[in-house]
Amino acid sequence: MVSSILPLTLDAVELRRGGKRILGPVSLTLDGDGITIVLGPNGSGKTTLLRTMHGLERINRGHARWTGDADRVHARQAFVFQTPVLMRRSVLDCIAYPLRLDGVDRRSARDRAAEVAASVGLTATLDAPAQILSGGERQKMSLARALIRTPEVLFLDEPCANLDMASMAEIEAILIRTRNAGTRIVMSTHNIGQARRLADDILFLHDGRVIESARRDAFFAGPGTPEARAHINGDLLP
Amino acid sequence: MTFKTLLATVSALWLATAAGAEEMKMAVTTSFANSGLAEILLPQIEKDTGITVELLVVGTGQALKLGAAGDVDAALVHARAAEEKFVADGDATHRREIMYNDFIVVGPSGDPAGAKAATTAKDAFATIAAAQAPFVSRGDDSGTHKAELAIWAAAGVEPSGDWYKAVGQGMGAALNTAAGMDAYIFADRASWLNFGNKGDLALLFEGDPALFNQYAYLPVNPEKHPHVKAEAAKALENWLTSDTAKALIEGYTIAGQQLFTFNAQPM
Repeated sequence: MVSSILPLTLDAVELRRGGKRILGPVSLTLDGDGITIVLGPNGSGKTTLLRTMHGLERINRGHARWTGDADRVHARQAFVFQTPVLMRRSVLDCIAYPLRLDGVDRRSARDRAAEVAASVGLTATLDAPAQILSGGERQKMSLARALIRTPEVLFLDEPCANLDMASMAEIEAILIRTRNAGTRIVMSTHNIGQARRLADDILFLHDGRVIESARRDAFFAGPGTPEARAHINGDLLP
Repeated sequence: MTFKTLLATVSALWLATAAGAEEMKMAVTTSFANSGLAEILLPQIEKDTGITVELLVVGTGQALKLGAAGDVDAALVHARAAEEKFVADGDATHRREIMYNDFIVVGPSGDPAGAKAATTAKDAFATIAAAQAPFVSRGDDSGTHKAELAIWAAAGVEPSGDWYKAVGQGMGAALNTAAGMDAYIFADRASWLNFGNKGDLALLFEGDPALFNQYAYLPVNPEKHPHVKAEAAKALENWLTSDTAKALIEGYTIAGQQLFTFNAQPM
């Protein structure tokens, strides 16, 4: 059995850029299973928090600690960005790319990529250049690329921004299947309805700090802060 | 003010050695200047030839523009395609290879993108792009910048987005920026070894032949710019391709590592 890279512990993590605090101090533990949805207004630090957890940002104070050695931690997590970077190659080769980097031969990697592509409903365009994909298809491809190594932890930064309702529903269905298959998911969104549909837990950020952390039902039944209440209700904050 | 202090405080400067019988001007790249090799070569050039070489330290693109304008007598740069066009355009009489070093990929020691596991430079770049890990680009049309862009193209990636920061500065300043934000950066080995503010950065990828970094000497064409000091430029070329230059170039080390390999061929 493969040992877990969880828990991830953030201990008083703080990020500063250009003399300005952009995140923190944040202390939290990511463990267990399910989907954690990160909510908060623009500029609250959602993307920075996800990137910090994934190890992409320099921490100025505090510590972020995964369980296990760095190589395994890196290999066992994946990130889906709001705007994926597209490589000038076919859809199938883009999806297969992480396996190719792992040294898997091209044929085996492409076979596995085709399986994962099918699992996310992306089948008709596999030999086409990735650049021609629609927004929804790009996110499916990006998801497939993230899932091809069966990550234990998957981060998604507003993956459904700018997608229509049908594409959003498809992405959400994929995420629920992925969660049910055992992948721990942490995802940011601006969409309150999506948070209600997907979340097991909610982290609510305001001004770079996590000001609420709760199970979904408890959060939506009675948010404990005026900021979270206003966000849920769509109120304008001064 | 010391040589290094000057480099740290101005982006382009005239670097003059002690007064000599004859002076000439040569545009060189920031990566060459940052390597520290100039401080070894210039005094010996003056001693052996009587020529005081003033260096204008800029990126390759700007160096070639200075040459095309006749503002310098020669250039020592590293961007082959641009150099060959420079010769084809009649701005230089010829191109002569002098020495090479190599480029490397530097990044945060934790390597969040996993670049060190790559087997080729283009894979290392694609890995960084896929992770959208912060990457600092020279973005200054220098030879290093051109080489970086060639690797992005080979990787099939058009770098853009918040993660890709083109700073439009020389190698030392770009390395400082990368160190400040724990970003990946494409650098020449000499500048990296000479860089004193490494922070949490580490050398993560090296050794791909695609990272070969050839320096070539280009004497500005006197037919196009009659005022250039062609005889001095020729004397400097002879010195740069001499056994004396070979010994100094290959004997120059930082932290025990040889930075440049002399590969000038007889004409």
